[in-house]
Amino acid sequence: MMHDAALTVLFYVLGAGAILCALAVVNARRLLRAALALMFVLLASAGLYLLLGAEFLAGIQVLVYVGGIVILIVFAVMLTSAADLLEDHPSPGRMLAGAVASISFLVFAGGVFARLELAAPAPGARPPADASAIGRRLLDFGSEGYVLPFELLSLLLLAAVIGGIAVARKTPPRDQPFTSGGDAPGEVDIVLPRSQRDEPEEPRA
Amino acid sequence: MAGAAAPFALFAAAQAAPAWPVKTVAARAAEALPDHPWTAVLYMALAFAGLGALVAVLGMGLIYLERKIAARFQCRLGPMRVGPHGIFQTVADTFKLLFKEDIVPARADKTLHLLAPFLALSSTALMLGVIPYSPILQISDVNIGVLYIAAVSGLGVMGILLGGWSSYNKWSLIGAMRGAAQIISYEVSATLALLVVVMFAGTLSLSGIVASQAEGWWIWRAPVVGGIAFLIYLTASTAEINRTPFDIPEGESELTAGFHTEYSGLRFAFFFLAEFINMFVAAALTATLFLGGWMPFHIGGANAFNAVMDLVPPGVWFLGKTAFVVFVIMWFRWTFPRLRVDQLMRLEWKLLLPIGFANLALGALAVLYDLYFFPGA
Repeated sequence: MMHDAALTVLFYVLGAGAILCALAVVNARRLLRAALALMFVLLASAGLYLLLGAEFLAGIQVLVYVGGIVILIVFAVMLTSAADLLEDHPSPGRMLAGAVASISFLVFAGGVFARLELAAPAPGARPPADASAIGRRLLDFGSEGYVLPFELLSLLLLAAVIGGIAVARKTPPRDQPFTSGGDAPGEVDIVLPRSQRDEPEEPRA
Repeated sequence: MAGAAAPFALFAAAQAAPAWPVKTVAARAAEALPDHPWTAVLYMALAFAGLGALVAVLGMGLIYLERKIAARFQCRLGPMRVGPHGIFQTVADTFKLLFKEDIVPARADKTLHLLAPFLALSSTALMLGVIPYSPILQISDVNIGVLYIAAVSGLGVMGILLGGWSSYNKWSLIGAMRGAAQIISYEVSATLALLVVVMFAGTLSLSGIVASQAEGWWIWRAPVVGGIAFLIYLTASTAEINRTPFDIPEGESELTAGFHTEYSGLRFAFFFLAEFINMFVAAALTATLFLGGWMPFHIGGANAFNAVMDLVPPGVWFLGKTAFVVFVIMWFRWTFPRLRVDQLMRLEWKLLLPIGFANLALGALAVLYDLYFFPGA
C-alpha cells in the first residue's frame, strides 16, 4: 500500500521534472544550459523506465543518450564559438525556419500517434527483467526477432562513421603548423625553421 | 550498445546454485518493508551514512597513501610532521580546504560552475553503491550491474566538461576538452574488456560475476583471453580516471591545472575527492571482474586447498586485491612518462581497440567451445 503510494509520487515527480526540464531545453538562452537541461530530461525518462521495471532499457538510455549524445552535443557547442551566443533576437528567416520545422514535426507526430494503437499493458505486468530475453529477441531470425533491423542499423552507423572520417580527414598545406596531418605521426607537424626545409628559398629582393 | 548486449545474452548459461549466499542492504530493507517499515528506512539511512563515510575516509586515506608511496619511490619520507609518520597531514589539509575562500571567476557561468563538482562526485558515489565488498556487504546488486557502471561513469564526464567550460578560462576549457575526448575514447576499450568477462560469467550482475569465479579467477581461468582483457581494462581505466601517464587533462606543465584551474576551497576538494575515489572504484572493479572480487583464491576441485583459502574472510580478500591494484596504479605514475595528446589517441584507436575486438572474438570462441578451465562449474 505504502509501496504503491511511494511509486505513484515518484512517477509524478519524475514526470513533472522531465516536463519542466524539457521546457528549459527550448527556453534556455545559452546553448550549453539547454544541453544540460536535455541531460536531465533523459535522466528523468530513464527513471520512468526504471519505474516500469525496464532496467536494461534505463541503463542503455543513460549510457547512450546521456553518456554519448549529450556529451557529443556539449562537445560540439564548446568547439564552436556559439557557446556565448545569446539567441535573443533571431533573424526573421530563422524564426520562419523554426516555425516551419516545429509545425511540421507537430503534424507528423500527431499523425503517427493518431494512427498508432498502443495496447496498454495490464496493471502490474512487467517486461522480462533480464538482458538475456532482450538479447534473444535481437538475434532471432523468426517473425518475433529483430535481427534484420538490427543489422541494417549497424550498417547505417558504419556508413556514418566512415563518412565522418572522410569529412574530418584532410591533408593540410605544408606551411600550416597547427593542423594535424590526418593520421600522420605528430612529429611531422613540427615546422622546421626555413633554413632546414628542403624547399627552394624565396628570391631575395 | 544494444548490439553489444546480444552476444552475452545468447550464452547466458544457468548458474549453479550459489555456495556463497549474497545478501545486500537493499534486499534486507525490502525484506523488512512489509512488517517493519522503519527498519527499512533505517537500513537505507545506514547505507547512505556508510557511503558518505566511505567517501570521506577513502579520500583522505588514498591521498595520504599516494603521498607516502610517491615519496618512497623518490627516496624521500613524505609527510612526517603532523602526527606519527604524518598520518594527520591529510586531515589538516582537509580542514584548510574547508576554510578556504570559495572563488567564482567574474565571467564564469555561476550555476554551472557550482554544479559541476557535484556532478563529478555524485557519479563516483553512485558507483560505490553497487560494488560487492563482501557477501554480506553490498548496498544494492542491480541486475544490470556492469551496464549501470558504464552508464553512471558517463555522468562524471559531464562534470569535467561543465567545470572546464563554465570557468571562462582557456586552460580550463582545453583541459576539459582533452579530458572528455580521452574518457570517451578509452571507455570503448574498457567496455570491450568488460564484455569478455560478462560473456564468461553469463551475467551482468556484479555479485553474479564474483560468484562465477568460485572455481578460479577469470584472469587465469580464461587462458590468455582473460589476461589480455585484464591488461586492456587496467590501461583503459587508468586513462578514464585521468591518472598518469594519461593525465594530460591536467598537464600541470602546460595547462596550469586543467579543468579545475579556477576552482578553490570546498569545490576544488570535491573534484580532488572524485578523482581519488574514482581510482578506488577502478581498482575495485578490476578486482571484482578479473581477480575474483571477494572470492578467495580457489582452484576448481582442489577442495583441501580451497578450504584453507576460505579461512581468510571474503572482505579481507576484496580489500587486499583492491589495495594491490591501487598500488599498481600509483606505481604507474612513477614508471611511465606522460603521453602526448596524439600518442594517447593513437594508443587507444590503433592499438587497444583492435586488440580489444580481436580479444572479444577469441573470448566468444572460448565460451562457445568451453576452452577455459573448469567449464562445467
